[in-house]
Amino acid sequence: MKTYTYNKSKELFAKAADIIPCGIYGHFSPAPLIPTSDYPFYVEKALGSKFWDVDGNEFIDYMCAYGPMVLGYNNPVVDAAADAQRQKANCATGPAEVMVELAQELVDTIPIADWAFFAKNGADMTAYSLMVARAHTGRDKIIRLKGGYHGTAPWSQSPDHHGITFNDARDIIVGEWNNYEALEKYVHSHRGEVAGIISTPYHHPTFADNEYAGEGYWKKVESLCKNEGILLIVDDVRAGFRMHMGGSNEFFGFKPDLIAFCKALGNGYPISTLVGTGELMNSAGNVFHTGSYWFSAEPMAAALATLREMKRTNSIQLMFDIGTKLNTGLIDLAKDHGYTMKITGHPSMAYYRLTDDPSLMLHQKWCGEATKRGAYFTSHHNWFVSAAHSDEDVEKTLLIADEAFKAIKDN
Amino acid sequence: MSYQIIRAGINLYAVLKNLEDLIAQDATCRDLIAGKKLSIQFLVKGGPKSWIQFENDRCTVGQGRMRNPSVVLWYTSPEHLNKMFDGKGNPIPLKGFTKLGFLQKEFSQITDKLEYYLKPDEVRDPSDEYIRTNTQFTLTVAAFSLSEIACYDEKAKLTASHMPDGITQLRVLPGGPSVYITVKEGRIMATKGIAENPDAVMEMKDYRTANDFLNGKSNPFKAIALGDVMIKGQTPMLDSLSLILGKVNDYVG
Repeated sequence: MKTYTYNKSKELFAKAADIIPCGIYGHFSPAPLIPTSDYPFYVEKALGSKFWDVDGNEFIDYMCAYGPMVLGYNNPVVDAAADAQRQKANCATGPAEVMVELAQELVDTIPIADWAFFAKNGADMTAYSLMVARAHTGRDKIIRLKGGYHGTAPWSQSPDHHGITFNDARDIIVGEWNNYEALEKYVHSHRGEVAGIISTPYHHPTFADNEYAGEGYWKKVESLCKNEGILLIVDDVRAGFRMHMGGSNEFFGFKPDLIAFCKALGNGYPISTLVGTGELMNSAGNVFHTGSYWFSAEPMAAALATLREMKRTNSIQLMFDIGTKLNTGLIDLAKDHGYTMKITGHPSMAYYRLTDDPSLMLHQKWCGEATKRGAYFTSHHNWFVSAAHSDEDVEKTLLIADEAFKAIKDN
Repeated sequence: MSYQIIRAGINLYAVLKNLEDLIAQDATCRDLIAGKKLSIQFLVKGGPKSWIQFENDRCTVGQGRMRNPSVVLWYTSPEHLNKMFDGKGNPIPLKGFTKLGFLQKEFSQITDKLEYYLKPDEVRDPSDEYIRTNTQFTLTVAAFSLSEIACYDEKAKLTASHMPDGITQLRVLPGGPSVYITVKEGRIMATKGIAENPDAVMEMKDYRTANDFLNGKSNPFKAIALGDVMIKGQTPMLDSLSLILGKVNDYVG
């Protein structure tokens, strides 16, 4: 099987690194793509479940733009809706009717939602959720859980990171995932101080196995919050609309007060939302939070079309099925080659790890070998499948994965 | 105060650590201690303690107290020690008065040479040999500074507190200097050499690349993305160490 080269990607990056901080910054940084020589850096075009890099190499995409792509790149239904809106008005001096339509769709789709607020990125909404919690409760402290990613705003980062101060995180308490007793102990010993608890619906850090909460955890947390007047905030930015159309909390059987969505919401069009219970509407309205592009109509039309198309095609089930098929195939293949593949998290966005080497170096090699044969795997982050990934994609992926196993064995 | 303590620790545990390799590699310096058997204890009130031993034409540098040193140098504070390293102060000898001549002559020449190799900005058109030595010494200073910074710098303490246990290898290829950093229960320890099963690795492709990278003269993102500096394994450990390493210049200057 041919392996790819990336001359144009590297040339472009070399230029970029001189005029853009990091060259490619943030979660698209090449640093965790190990070895970097096995990975493309720039995309030329994308369609369905695939993208092509600037060197003309084709990839079955198992990152889906790190989550936003859920119906396939350049999905015709979503794009048609977006185009139609754009031709009328996108970013203009007032929102369009589609804003109201989208809010209604979200309220109708998400059981806890009585209202919806729109922005661009997930971090816009996680920040807003904290503000709403503080406005509603009159309290300052927010509990977030270690390993949880809520964007890059100073409050959500550790104070030892570049550009972050201890003051930035002054009222942010970092608790431990899935440790109800510690959470309860803190809340009780700081009664009346905690405004909100923000968490992803399950634990999906990088470089580590993903983890669902233990039996009964979420119901206990929900109850604790209700009893103590704390708002329970679910950061569903990554998992949202991949496990349950009503929010990932529905999958786990609990009811938060606020849910932040982004990524899959618009199938790649830039839009995020915070939805919440009716009780919080006034407090949410009192908080001043806005952005230049937050009322852009084109992404709203895209999001409306995405939600409707996902429901129409039962995308949640499609992703679950294709993810399960992929997972079963990879586990069996690994075993055939004498390796152990551990897969954690939901099948639509699972984290993969060859457990035979705790340093991850073996897994990194395997992911790199697969990527340079056309199945884009990352070794540090959970993958994503979409409703556009087909059985043929999975079959081809397993062939590639098989070659990758042979390659790491040979080396 | 923590600034002075950290600087003192770096001076004693990291900067002076290079004397081992300087003596091993530089014949002129080795000649200065040829046949000598003596040891120097550095004692800093409220600060670090270390020792240097010259014996069998070799130099060993260690932390803490040693048994029966030939010379004992006392400093009233970490700041006092740092002033000496800045060339603006003198220690208080408590023992070994007959060895003061060695300190003023031979040892002074050795530390001058060490200083020369640690200040690349003051060297025009550095030779390949200079680059190799500066790279090696800079790597040593960086690695052996980590523990001091992580002990006393507020942000570095936080970083160290949530680092998982494990070993990170830093190497200059091919066959260049290497150090590994062991993290255990929030404590950091540097060791020269190659670890058996590191959890994370950073390899710099050659001396020039390493020299530019370690001295902050290259674009680190470019170096990593284009493969001049290769990282693998549990790279969050490298990320954490780089947060602390980024502070070395705050203290070394």
